[in-house]
Amino acid sequence: MMMANDIRPEPSAKTGERLLDVKGLTIEIETRNGPATIVDGIDLHVDKGETLGIVGESGCGKSLTMLSMMRLLPNKIKVTKGEANFAGRDLQKMSNSELRKVRGGEVGFIFQDPMTSLNPVMRIGQQLAEPLIYHRGMSKAEARKRAGELLKLVGIPGAEDRLDAYPHELSGGMRQRVMIAIGLACNPQLLIADEPTTALDVTIQAQIVDLVKDLRDKLGMSVVWITHDLALIAGLVDRINVLYAGTVVEDAPVDALFANPSHPYTQGLLASIPKLSDERSARLSSIGGTPPEPGRRPKGCPFAPRCPLVEAICHERVPTLEGLNHDGAHRVACFVAQRKLEAA
Amino acid sequence: MSVVPMTTTPIEIEPPVSLWRDAWHRLRRNRLAVFGLIVVVILAFAAIFGPYLTPYDFLSQDLNSRNMAPSLSHLFGTDDLGRDVFSRVVYGTRTAFLVAIVVTFIAVLIGVTLGALAGFFGGWLDRIVMWLTDMTMSIPNLLLVVVINASLKSPITSWMESRYLATLNPVYRETIWVDFLLVFGSMALISWPPYARLVRAQVLSIRSRPYITAAQALGLTNRIILMRYVVPNALGPLIVAVSAGLGTAMVLESAFSFLGVGVNPPTPSWGNMISDGLRVWQHYPHLLAAPAAVLGLASVAFSFLGDGLNDALNPRGAK
Repeated sequence: MMMANDIRPEPSAKTGERLLDVKGLTIEIETRNGPATIVDGIDLHVDKGETLGIVGESGCGKSLTMLSMMRLLPNKIKVTKGEANFAGRDLQKMSNSELRKVRGGEVGFIFQDPMTSLNPVMRIGQQLAEPLIYHRGMSKAEARKRAGELLKLVGIPGAEDRLDAYPHELSGGMRQRVMIAIGLACNPQLLIADEPTTALDVTIQAQIVDLVKDLRDKLGMSVVWITHDLALIAGLVDRINVLYAGTVVEDAPVDALFANPSHPYTQGLLASIPKLSDERSARLSSIGGTPPEPGRRPKGCPFAPRCPLVEAICHERVPTLEGLNHDGAHRVACFVAQRKLEAA
Repeated sequence: MSVVPMTTTPIEIEPPVSLWRDAWHRLRRNRLAVFGLIVVVILAFAAIFGPYLTPYDFLSQDLNSRNMAPSLSHLFGTDDLGRDVFSRVVYGTRTAFLVAIVVTFIAVLIGVTLGALAGFFGGWLDRIVMWLTDMTMSIPNLLLVVVINASLKSPITSWMESRYLATLNPVYRETIWVDFLLVFGSMALISWPPYARLVRAQVLSIRSRPYITAAQALGLTNRIILMRYVVPNALGPLIVAVSAGLGTAMVLESAFSFLGVGVNPPTPSWGNMISDGLRVWQHYPHLLAAPAAVLGLASVAFSFLGDGLNDALNPRGAK
């Protein structure tokens, strides 16, 4: 285990210490009709060594929250309120040069589309070496040697020979492994994986999930895995946050979420996963309607217009995340679910 | 050294093929482009080594053999002063290449820098650069060169002559490069806008590609991202534009020299040779045919090469 030693000695167990703490982050986009809120006061946290899954349908602000947290979004999209503390420092208030040290150095990213997230005119060895030279001050030769080790680490056959390959010479799965290697290059404390398997076929998806799991346990880092596929990450994450229209509607340890999904939206998401035991003729279950457009958020609970359990109060007030009685770690933002569980 | 268990089937390992080598393979299959490339290489060779290889000096006159038709001793014949036309055409190649390369180099340098900065940073910088581009494009190049010839050239030349007489400093003796510097320097200063526009458009589209966000997420500085991620990806269309631009600059040099505002005699240029030949073409057609044919050949060769490069570097656009 030479590798693990020279990377980081800490054990991979959870410590309960906050690594990332996002509080009340509000993100607005400039439109022709003035600013529109996309993410409304979101709260998130990730402990050291913990793996958090963020789930939600397209356009609910999953990637946006992570990207804007690192200030990686175009000028049109702005964080207007809230803070994002990483290891005790607010990313929103950092100077650009401090932020650059965090990006890539302490927080690694894996992006959605491996086909377009690598520079097509640069050999992958160089792309891997870039953060090492920049953040770790390695010489070119050292960085190249380390790049070879990283490719081996993510399971690319013939790693050393592949250093001189261009991205277009690799398959999608291989490119995603390269992306992971780049994300891991500087031994980040936090790895943010933004739907890293969406562009890949199912067998490769499972391989990538297993790979990240192995690497996480070996290197003892925290992981945030953004996805819309609940089933895929069930075996990987410790805790899941369900996002809807830019707010966290349910926050629960992974087992509790599957055993006792409390928010009607989570229930709908789980019900929409097809099961082998379903009748072949049965229609696939779906949630009717579409999420609210930014700038046209309903007054009360954002899910109210699509909710099967909607009540009068849901149109009036916005529910907050409250811990459920029997389990403080399982929190849900829904009046109906809260009342039901209090009564039980 | 421990390795994560591998569950993939091994992929075939073949020697890496670079984008450029790939483009070269496609270029080689295009006959017109290969023809263009061969002509350009021959002309470049003539421009560099020509004066050492030609049988006669381009200035040496032989008044006993004036206006001779092409023969084995004078491939393209001789002109009205008995100078060897072949040697002069070869030397004209050097003039044409020198002008084309200098003009294009300066124009590309200015255009790429301004275009890349404007596209990458946007905002007020973009507005200023685009305003400058539009303004520069509105200046007709022929008019500018004529104005500069009429206003700046003779005072500077006569000032240099007087300095030479006063100081005998050899720096001031040759006034020929004033032609080059003034005329073609000014040409370069107004021919950068197309490059700036091209690069800006490229950068605008590249800037929003995922690999740029990925590079930013790695904490790389804007300078590194611009130099190593943005500009190299914008290079393909730029190479095509440069190849076409070199041909255009050569034709322009000939056009100016033809009109008497470019390179001054006795320095041979295809343009001023055509101009001289035009007066006597009924009697001595070879004096017009030789420089005109070479100019035409050069122009066609650069455009074939440019088209070929365009297809080779943008495989998706090719049929």
